Amino acid sequence: MKLEHYGLIKAQASRRQVLKGAASVGAMGALGALGAWPGTALAQGELRTQLLQIPGVGAGSPTDADWQKVGELCLEATKANVTEGEFAGVELTFMGLNNQNLHNLLFRGFLKSWEAYTGAKITWIDLAQADYNPRLQQAIATGTVDFDLLEMGAPFEGDVCGKGLASEMPDWVKAQIDMDDYVDYLKAPVGTWEGKTYRISIDGDCHNFNYRTDVFSDPDLAAAWKSEGGQGEWGVPKTWQQVQAATKFLKGKQVAGQDAYGYLDAPKAWGGFGFYFLGSRATAYAKHPDDKAWLFDVDTMKPRINNPAWVRAIQDVLDALPAEPPDQLNADPGTTAFQQFLAGTGSMVSWWGDVGSSAKTSDGSVIGDTVGFDILPGSDDVYNAKTGAWDKLPSGPNYAPNMAYIGWGVYVMARVDGDAKKHKAAWSAAAHLGGKDISLWASAYPSGFQPYRKSHFNVAEWVAAGYDEAFITSYLNSQSNSYNHPNAAIEPRIPGIFQYYSVAEDELAKIFAGQYDAQKGADNIAAAWEKITDQIGREQQLALYRASLGV
Amino acid sequence: MASTPLAAGRHYKHGAEDLPAGRRAAGRLLILLATLGLAAVFVVQLLDRLGVLPLGLPNWRPLLYAYVLWAVALCVGQVILRGEQGRRALFVLPALLFTISMVIFPTAFGLYIAFTDWNLSSFAGRQFNGLANLKALLQDAYFWNALRNTVYYVLAVLVEYALAFGLALLLNAEIRARRFFRIVFLLPFMLSPVAVSWMVGKSIMEYRFGPAATLARHLGWDRPAFFADPVIARLSIMAMDAWVTIPFVLILLLAGLQAMPKEITEAAKVDGANGWQTFWRITFPLMLPVSLTAIVLKIIFKLKLADIVINVTAGGPGGATDTVTSFIYREYRDRSNVGYGTMLAMFYLVLIIIFVILLLKFAQRRMRQGLG
Repeated sequence: MKLEHYGLIKAQASRRQVLKGAASVGAMGALGALGAWPGTALAQGELRTQLLQIPGVGAGSPTDADWQKVGELCLEATKANVTEGEFAGVELTFMGLNNQNLHNLLFRGFLKSWEAYTGAKITWIDLAQADYNPRLQQAIATGTVDFDLLEMGAPFEGDVCGKGLASEMPDWVKAQIDMDDYVDYLKAPVGTWEGKTYRISIDGDCHNFNYRTDVFSDPDLAAAWKSEGGQGEWGVPKTWQQVQAATKFLKGKQVAGQDAYGYLDAPKAWGGFGFYFLGSRATAYAKHPDDKAWLFDVDTMKPRINNPAWVRAIQDVLDALPAEPPDQLNADPGTTAFQQFLAGTGSMVSWWGDVGSSAKTSDGSVIGDTVGFDILPGSDDVYNAKTGAWDKLPSGPNYAPNMAYIGWGVYVMARVDGDAKKHKAAWSAAAHLGGKDISLWASAYPSGFQPYRKSHFNVAEWVAAGYDEAFITSYLNSQSNSYNHPNAAIEPRIPGIFQYYSVAEDELAKIFAGQYDAQKGADNIAAAWEKITDQIGREQQLALYRASLGV
Repeated sequence: MASTPLAAGRHYKHGAEDLPAGRRAAGRLLILLATLGLAAVFVVQLLDRLGVLPLGLPNWRPLLYAYVLWAVALCVGQVILRGEQGRRALFVLPALLFTISMVIFPTAFGLYIAFTDWNLSSFAGRQFNGLANLKALLQDAYFWNALRNTVYYVLAVLVEYALAFGLALLLNAEIRARRFFRIVFLLPFMLSPVAVSWMVGKSIMEYRFGPAATLARHLGWDRPAFFADPVIARLSIMAMDAWVTIPFVLILLLAGLQAMPKEITEAAKVDGANGWQTFWRITFPLMLPVSLTAIVLKIIFKLKLADIVINVTAGGPGGATDTVTSFIYREYRDRSNVGYGTMLAMFYLVLIIIFVILLLKFAQRRMRQGLG
């Protein structure tokens, strides 16, 4: 197995990597350069094979020239709907990120040939991650939307689509980008409001479960587990109850001469993003298969954060912290994934796909050969918010993968709706970026985006491109099975969702520091959330929440 | 130069020159027209915004342009109206207008925002809500916790001052490689606090592999977690901030020491004073004005402490390291709560002004006592 092959997936920089401040472009080995580019359309299979060879596995990080080649190769879909020079004189403004010198910079390369073909011109507004939310919120609040196309995460849809600022997607765009190829959870209601479709997905997101295979197959630990009366065989936990038991069991144990630790919690605030990690512990308790809601009541917008399910998840963290590393209280998600788990501390962590994509390629990773992936653990019982009882499902443990953040998308703003030519141009540009083939390249090479289409999970394509089959299969399955899970916990796309998360982080920090018990702290969060709901507008929030759940 | 007195005389004469009545009237008219124009644009913009006269103006930029034109007309009008005196006014007037635009107006506007309920995600937009933000602030445990922490950080200034004074005395002494050490001691001050947060807080003090943690283990501290315990975390933040900003105090004190007449300390030695007595009876009192200046500036730095806290602990554990500034940052950036965040900032500004005034009065009294 050539480790450098994994540079491809390792280099998929994303917002999480930006937030942790880590560089993540992988080094790649060498393959031959591609030959001349055909000017005619290729058969799709041939095209996808050719795309995955730009610049080629192990040929170094893609450059702007590579992005332009990809954009040019994928232009056929545009040509089917737009005549050459049709958008001459049209000027569009695109607002997006510049994380890791990707996102907007990548889009520029992709759209170069599109601009040349259509005659339109795009002006770019590049924003750092930290500036993105304030810039967007200020534009919305002050009525100064000065962009036609917007790169945006689904959690902000409530702020944009819910306020009528986005343009509805025309049918020809849906056909061009083959929306049916999206993984199930990215289909409606995600990207839609009141039955109208607004989003072209260019990314997918979920938390999966990363574990150490060496720890959970260690014979000495297995013997100790039995001698200490552990339930069942020593192995990879499948439920949070087992995660808790394994974490407490590992306290004081050693593996290969190193202190062993179990699950790694992230108690430190992380600009709102840290709340996702409590969410990953809570969804199996709080997301009932018979109920779409899990964060707020769908009839009243009353927070569920202080119901027994969430309180149990918070209590789990409190119970586990004494068995976690001594400085865990100051660990944010960046620490748990990149300074702890990948560096050999801890044996279980929930995270986005970045852990898997960094395991074999990051200089800081020492666990490349001893890491496995799965969907988030389940729970033996699940709280039924409607009855107030804990249910044991006949099918066994309840699983509810946390679809944290729901990925990036491209949105067209409503301000182009009054100009038919500009409207078509904007949607054509967005469709080019969200095209089926171009997305395969983006999911395989450094782009900031993860796989999000069913067609991205064709392992044979990845293997043909040079990946190790077992690793890629395990990694992709953990994401695919999360995306397509029937009881996936979908994030509410309501205005100000990160305000709720940020306030919760402040209160959780106090709980984890021992200033309140779990219930009191959760009650405080609920009270703060009620205030935010009232401040933003309860009736509107409730309506948008219901719309976001498709209720 | 011989010409200077003559030039000064001419200036004086020009200042008192009699200008034609027509010119004065033209100056007045220009200023009046510009002022009326500005007022008219303001009224039109206001009516447009209120929906009384819907012109569809997308922003307040016309008023900005009108203000710039008014400012230019005011400056030109001064020259026409007052001649040489008007020209002299041009040395100050643009700066004054700039200050009004960039400091006074934003502060006044900020004061207005502080009394509104303005969450950027709110459907209702900005709403005047009277004293509600102030009442909320007075009951906000996070604010008072952050303020209490800020007081702790401010108190640490005394320790930092003592350290800086000690180092300044060392660097002022006849030691080898004095210049080298002066530059070396300045280096931390040249670093961005954000860089220090990562280099020191997240690397050197990192629990697993950080050199400081390793050293602490060698010294017998089994679990050297610098940011997991409230008191240790606060002390660690203080240490990092001190490392960055002590050089600033050090340089001020060193400059003071070097400016101090050597004859006084030499005379003290001749009179039989030992080093301890010389320091407390001669050096320290003479350095009091510089010391107080350094302390006041350092306190102002402390009141703004945020970057290291945000990057290293995010205010934790459990709010133990939070500062007012880092709390305001969260209200703004993470929660888009502009109205309440502005009230926090304004309230804090008032507290700072009162505190600094009291501090300066105390410093003046101490200096008078010292000199007396």
